[in-house]
Amino acid sequence: MKRREFLRTTGISSAAASLVMGLPSLGSAAEAERRRRIVFVFSPNGVIPKHFWPDQAGAEFDFKRILKPLEPFRDQLLTAKGINNQIRGDGDGHMRGIGCLLTGIELFPGDIQGGSDTPAGWSMGISVDQFIRNQLQANPATQTRFGSLEFGVMVPDRADTWTRMSYAGPNQPVAPISDPYAMFDKLYGQTKNRQMLSSVLDDLSGDLKHVASLVSSEDRQLLNQHLDLVRKVEKDLQTEFAAATKNDGAAHAVPKLQPNIEEQNDNMPEITRMQIELMVNSFVADFARVASLQITNSVGQPRMRWLDIPEGHHGLSHEPDSNEEAYEKLIKINTWYAEQVAHLAKRMQETPDPSGQGNLLDNTTIVWTNELGKGNSHTRNDIPFVMVGGGLDFKMGISHDFGGVSHNRLLLSFLEGFGMPQKSFGNPNFCGDGPLTGIMA
Amino acid sequence: MSSHQTHACVLIKPPRHHGSVRRFRLLVLVAWCLLCCAVWGLPVQADPPQAQSAEQQSVLLKQGATLYTNQCAKCHGKTGQGNKEHYSDPLAGDTSIKELTEIIEATMPESDPDQCIGDDAAAVAAYIYESFYQNADSGQVVRRSFSRLTGAQLQQSLADLYQHFHSSAWIEEKRGLEAFYFNAGRWDNKKLTKKRIDPILDFQFGKQAPIEGVDAKEFYIHWTGSVIAPQTGRYQFVVESTCSMKLRFGSDERTLINNHVQSEGKTEFRRTLNLIAGRQYPISIDFTQRKRKTEQPAATFSLRWVPPGGIEHVIPSESLIPNRMPPTFALQTKLPPDDHSYGYDRGTRVDSQWDQAVTQSALEFGALAAKELWPHYKRKNKDKPNEDRALLKAFLTELAQTAFREPLSEPTRKRYILDQLAQSPDDQMAIARCCLLIIKSPRFLYPMVDDQSSLSQRVAKRLSLVLHDSLPSDSWLIGQAKNGHFDATHKQFENRVRQAADRMTRDPRMAAKVNEMFYQWLDLETSAEMVKSEKAYPEFDAHVAQDLKRSLDQAINRIFWDPNSDYRQLFRRDWNWTTPALARVYGQNWQPISDPSESANPSETSSPSESETADVDASGQPAESSAESSAESSAESSGSHKYATVPDPNRLVQSQSNPQQTLGVLTHPMVLANLSYHDVSSPVHRGVFLIRHVLGRALRPPNEAFTPFNPELHPDLTTRERVELQTGEAKCQVCHTKINGLGYTLENYDAIGRFRTMEKSKAINATGNYTSTSGQTVEFKNAKDLANFLADNPEAHRAFVERSFEHFVKQPLSSYGSDVEERLVKHFQQTNFNMRQLIIEIAVVVATEIPNGDS
Repeated sequence: MKRREFLRTTGISSAAASLVMGLPSLGSAAEAERRRRIVFVFSPNGVIPKHFWPDQAGAEFDFKRILKPLEPFRDQLLTAKGINNQIRGDGDGHMRGIGCLLTGIELFPGDIQGGSDTPAGWSMGISVDQFIRNQLQANPATQTRFGSLEFGVMVPDRADTWTRMSYAGPNQPVAPISDPYAMFDKLYGQTKNRQMLSSVLDDLSGDLKHVASLVSSEDRQLLNQHLDLVRKVEKDLQTEFAAATKNDGAAHAVPKLQPNIEEQNDNMPEITRMQIELMVNSFVADFARVASLQITNSVGQPRMRWLDIPEGHHGLSHEPDSNEEAYEKLIKINTWYAEQVAHLAKRMQETPDPSGQGNLLDNTTIVWTNELGKGNSHTRNDIPFVMVGGGLDFKMGISHDFGGVSHNRLLLSFLEGFGMPQKSFGNPNFCGDGPLTGIMA
Repeated sequence: MSSHQTHACVLIKPPRHHGSVRRFRLLVLVAWCLLCCAVWGLPVQADPPQAQSAEQQSVLLKQGATLYTNQCAKCHGKTGQGNKEHYSDPLAGDTSIKELTEIIEATMPESDPDQCIGDDAAAVAAYIYESFYQNADSGQVVRRSFSRLTGAQLQQSLADLYQHFHSSAWIEEKRGLEAFYFNAGRWDNKKLTKKRIDPILDFQFGKQAPIEGVDAKEFYIHWTGSVIAPQTGRYQFVVESTCSMKLRFGSDERTLINNHVQSEGKTEFRRTLNLIAGRQYPISIDFTQRKRKTEQPAATFSLRWVPPGGIEHVIPSESLIPNRMPPTFALQTKLPPDDHSYGYDRGTRVDSQWDQAVTQSALEFGALAAKELWPHYKRKNKDKPNEDRALLKAFLTELAQTAFREPLSEPTRKRYILDQLAQSPDDQMAIARCCLLIIKSPRFLYPMVDDQSSLSQRVAKRLSLVLHDSLPSDSWLIGQAKNGHFDATHKQFENRVRQAADRMTRDPRMAAKVNEMFYQWLDLETSAEMVKSEKAYPEFDAHVAQDLKRSLDQAINRIFWDPNSDYRQLFRRDWNWTTPALARVYGQNWQPISDPSESANPSETSSPSESETADVDASGQPAESSAESSAESSAESSGSHKYATVPDPNRLVQSQSNPQQTLGVLTHPMVLANLSYHDVSSPVHRGVFLIRHVLGRALRPPNEAFTPFNPELHPDLTTRERVELQTGEAKCQVCHTKINGLGYTLENYDAIGRFRTMEKSKAINATGNYTSTSGQTVEFKNAKDLANFLADNPEAHRAFVERSFEHFVKQPLSSYGSDVEERLVKHFQQTNFNMRQLIIEIAVVVATEIPNGDS
């Protein structure tokens, strides 16, 4: 029986489930291995390189305007310039930009036409986040309830090559969940439903008694049996909740979401915060050790009115550098994305790791990336890669310039840094020299 | 049945055990062969029973009484009630005196049946018959059981609770899906080249244009309509598409398959859904061949499914309709089975498994209510203010009123809505919470509870429950109920109820309930697989079984929905619905009446001689019309065959008639193959089916488990001879003389229900007989005689009335009193056995009953 099906049919809460099913939970404090995690954060349409990349490589580097919000994390931060997405084949720059970003392999021939290139379909391979997930799930010691969680922010409700970054395999795009309430349901639906059930049972038994008084005494027998059932459920739930709180209350605290936030452009800041809260909470509960946060999509058009920018991001990104107004707005937009990464890092830093080893950020690497190097040239050279946190065994507090190597080598480095080195990932032709040199601690 | 060869005691299913008077008369027969008086044989001086005066009768009874009291009562009880230590079943049943006499003579006492013969046997038979056997429980009031919704009723009620916020579906005669072919990569009214009905979706366009006038390099086809679920259960939808494709199902807002991106190698899509019978699910498909610089795939599209218990096949045209029905909800939560021991589902038990399933159902419904119903409601009422969540309150109040089938009192509204809203600031959560409480409420789960409803509203409640297994959800019915239309004091009261019932029978929900009734009547399970011996019947495969089911469904539907809805056609219709596969396996009787290619009208499933006009376009025109673009229509009139619509090669068409061999659904192979083993026919199964289901008689189970004789050990015996050999003993004959006499008449139909004249090189002997409750024996030369007998036999009519009543009402007929039974039987006869009228009358009887103390 599948796990979820088991949960559904038996109706036990996630809290109780982790006990029943012997999943790792808080309390087994003395874990030998730390809980490594990795999070991929995506923002679209390239950056303004001049205000993004540090001028100097090495440990002594400066924070340009866009990366400024991340300065508090200097010691746990790494920038990787000179990483090029060299995958060719079908698909326009944006499509290959996002579709090959984490997969390192070409897109299938298909019928999605973008720009002036040839049309394409889905990626031919698995993405690195899903690969790591599968490795973790295959090992009982690192298995979690979901393995990975794919968060989105205003990703359009449209399945196409531009809206999917994560792949479970060839032709198997993984859809991010953009609605925080839907994500909440996925994470806490069982618990929430159990609590909701418990909270209506009083009203239910009250009315059962009343209705029983409306029927004959013979007919009442069935209603009395029904009432007994309700009382039994009530009791069982109390026992269940008490046991859950006693054993691992903190790990299974259900976060509170701001009510009635519609999924629309102007709510992007709120939605991003809600998703970040859910992600942090799901790490505390050890629901997953791999996650992604995809802010809009490749060619995304958020209108950041809260920054006084009414134009869509992608439209602006096509403006020449000489358009000073657009240039300035693009810096602001990208700075906003950096602020979200910084907020995520901050929340993780504030949160103790339930394994007992440091805080969440100490054991999690956030990889912030993009499908393009720069918007108006559509270049996939110098793809933005900025990492924060200590999930991977990388030497942090450093600015790298790898001078223009295939990004497959960075994907291999992620695997190496996670302790699961591979000879190749994606298209082997781009993996020639193996993982990057000089990146590991 | 195929695997029963070696199973013990499957010959006879347990009797329908229920409260009805006739059902309680049981079951002596074999009683006599087990235990008997040790001493038997006091001399009896009475005249033979044939020519009795009142005086003789009195003497006979007295002698019978003496014999019985002295010799029989020890085991059978003073009044035949039975005795736990000896023989516990009461002596009661529907066997005639004559037969009882024969049984006693042949079997009693068990130690020496020769001791009680002739007059002694007759006297005992007469005594027990008159004293208690015949009227075992007369005078007993059979109680109506207070019930919760059954599983099917819960599914249907939730479907209608959802439907209430949209409009209701209707019965549509046309079949196939509506298709729009565009000479463009998307919807563009100016580029619409053709509009037509495609009977099935199974296309291999290849690199060619799908129709003339469309560019093979770039086109778009939009298919729309609805899918009918022939039965409740899990369906796997299978789409094969080499091009970009999107499939919406159940509602425009629900995308079941999204293959917007055509990507090499991704061409097969499978989704599994629970569907509810009698519901029609809107479907729309966007299929796009996109122009591109690179090489295009050959265009193919196929819409298939695996129905419950079936095999994968292209969704047949009879399950597709070209009209888009309103959004529809089907509960996905699995519900535990209901008690079926009385022959129909009853919601008379509650346990925690059921309670959990209800909770799960409520959560499922609540999630969808928040996601679909609430936004829909807001759009419809966008002019109304939502201050202080007024609109949300109105929405939830309407939902609760519909679920509870009555207006809410203020305390109830407070409990179910206001108090819950106060606990949930988030609207989505509030809806989920209210739905959880509403659906778990006794007001929803126990449809017999009346609190605030007027008598008029009670009528509507009962009509919906009886006819649709559901709740009043259509606005016309809710409106009439609310306005006191069904006022019992009105002189047109009964007529008004009858009119409403009539309208409600012309409804897909009713169709589902009818179909289910026939399946139970015919002893068929909707989702059972039928497997036959590959050695004996190599030509019988899953595809044939699938087509047989389609053929039977169609036969039942067409007979029932014919204006005459004539019960007798179930035994008299002399042709079948056939397909190429059935014609291949079943021979001459199953050949189509004409070459099907001649009437290759795409939307026509061949309309037979009777007044069955379904499946043609309402205009009477072939269901294909050129789009308005004149240039395209001229291309169309040139009518190249290359572009002709693909007709459904497996569509059901009328077979040739054979009044001697094709006898309605009685001889339908689906029925007779089911009442067979996997390699040989089973006269015993067939006989038991006829006695119990068609004639409504009682039978007790055999005394011990029997394994049927293996045919291979009796290579020279025909099936009939083998059954005779096994059941020839007197104690078996008690029942088997009835069973076999009926079952043998169908021996012309083998284990796959195919007509035969020979078995083991011997001519089939299909003679048989039947003795009615009044003791008259009828002889049959063959199945034709039997079919005629069943069509006209009052016992069978009564049995059908009772079965219909109990299936629709889910209460024993006798609990409504014997005058109701007589009234319905009489009505059935007076309407020339119109089954639909019968069900309307049943609904009227139930709905117009004035509750005690309320008149």
